[in-house]
Amino acid sequence: MNRCAPATFGWNSAASAGVALLLAACGWLIFVFAPREITMGDVQRIVYLHVAVAWCALAGCVAMGLAGAAYLVRRTPGWDQWSQSAGELGWLCSTLTLATGSLWAHDAWSTWWTWEPRLTATLVLWIVFAGYFLVRGSIEEPRRRARTSAVLAILALADVPLVVMATRWFRGIHPITPDMDWRMRLVLLASVAGFSALFVLLAAMRKRQLDQAEQVAALERRAGIVT
Amino acid sequence: MELIQAARAWWWLVHKDLLREMRAPRTWAAMLLVALALAMVIQLPLELPAAEKPAFLGAMFWLSAFFAGTLSLDRSFAGEQEDGCWQGLLLYPVSPATVYLSKVAGNFVALCALNGVLLLAFALLSGISLLAQPGLFLATAVMANLGFAAVGTLASALTAGLAQRSGVLVLILLPLVLPVILAAVGATQSILEHEIGAWWRWLQLLACFAAVFLTLGTLLFEFIMED
Repeated sequence: MNRCAPATFGWNSAASAGVALLLAACGWLIFVFAPREITMGDVQRIVYLHVAVAWCALAGCVAMGLAGAAYLVRRTPGWDQWSQSAGELGWLCSTLTLATGSLWAHDAWSTWWTWEPRLTATLVLWIVFAGYFLVRGSIEEPRRRARTSAVLAILALADVPLVVMATRWFRGIHPITPDMDWRMRLVLLASVAGFSALFVLLAAMRKRQLDQAEQVAALERRAGIVT
Repeated sequence: MELIQAARAWWWLVHKDLLREMRAPRTWAAMLLVALALAMVIQLPLELPAAEKPAFLGAMFWLSAFFAGTLSLDRSFAGEQEDGCWQGLLLYPVSPATVYLSKVAGNFVALCALNGVLLLAFALLSGISLLAQPGLFLATAVMANLGFAAVGTLASALTAGLAQRSGVLVLILLPLVLPVILAAVGATQSILEHEIGAWWRWLQLLACFAAVFLTLGTLLFEFIMED
């Protein structure tokens, strides 16, 4: 493990530096380059963060389900670790989606929360993530935990089209594809790209951490240490 | 030939579950009593204008069906484990998909019986019949119960054997089944408001949901049954 440490440290550092630069550029684009919106003013800049984290929440759910399916096919713990790390980040991003959406709604709709279809579907997604981790925490035996979680992660995929299509299916008031200045659209795309890169980096780091924890646990079991 | 054998095995499994419930009614009796209690509790504070009452009753009908129906779903695998029948079920010379579909059928019958009792209770207590157009309501109930049974059976199997089974079941079942509840409520309201076009769209959503989860359940059940 020690022999690998310098190489992975170098890779991690380079990737982290790259993502940090990308996010710094996003910050400049959001607060300097993007024009001030006429109706909402500076509050509208929340959208650049909100859309990016919402995208990551959905991507987290999809990645969690796909990694779960890969685990059921391959039965290697690595896929279960990918599923868990994607789920954890997806849950974090869905929390941020609800928080930033609430801040935006307070200014746009004069309320912190309304039972609008897409908001409700996003809250459902948050509960699905919560249920996934509750089930994970309830099962001690690792292989059963991985298998049950994988099945649940695949079922959770069914909520993704619901979140995406909620406004169209249930006639909600959430904006779908509003007309935007080209600079605003560019900043939005850059923000989504920046946060997606951060998501991938954090998922990879968390997966590595879970893998190392598993190796330590295996060593402890071999040495007869009970924690 | 294999299909006929599978169908015969499926029927015997359904027959076994129904017979067990007939001989020692535990699940159905509790479920139907909870449904009656819910119907009564809902009617007590109901002092709405006559025009708003049907729409409200439609929503309350499906919510009552969901909460009472969860009791039946909860017991469908827990009963097998408590009585030590799970090992016997695993030893049956039938595919896991057959076992899953038989459990779905058993739960579907239970949910249909529950709908019948709730319809009667709501009609007697509120004076408003949800059966204004029986054919349309029947189609809605069949699709909603099929979707609910498909998801619920999977969730019940996933949580069977967990320490806090009932709590976890509700937590993972509610978000997964929310599209069914919303679509069933929407379809029922459309029937009461004589909007056949809207009803048809809701029914398509219900059918789509049932088809997706029946397929997922049939494919994934073998992974749940491994223990």
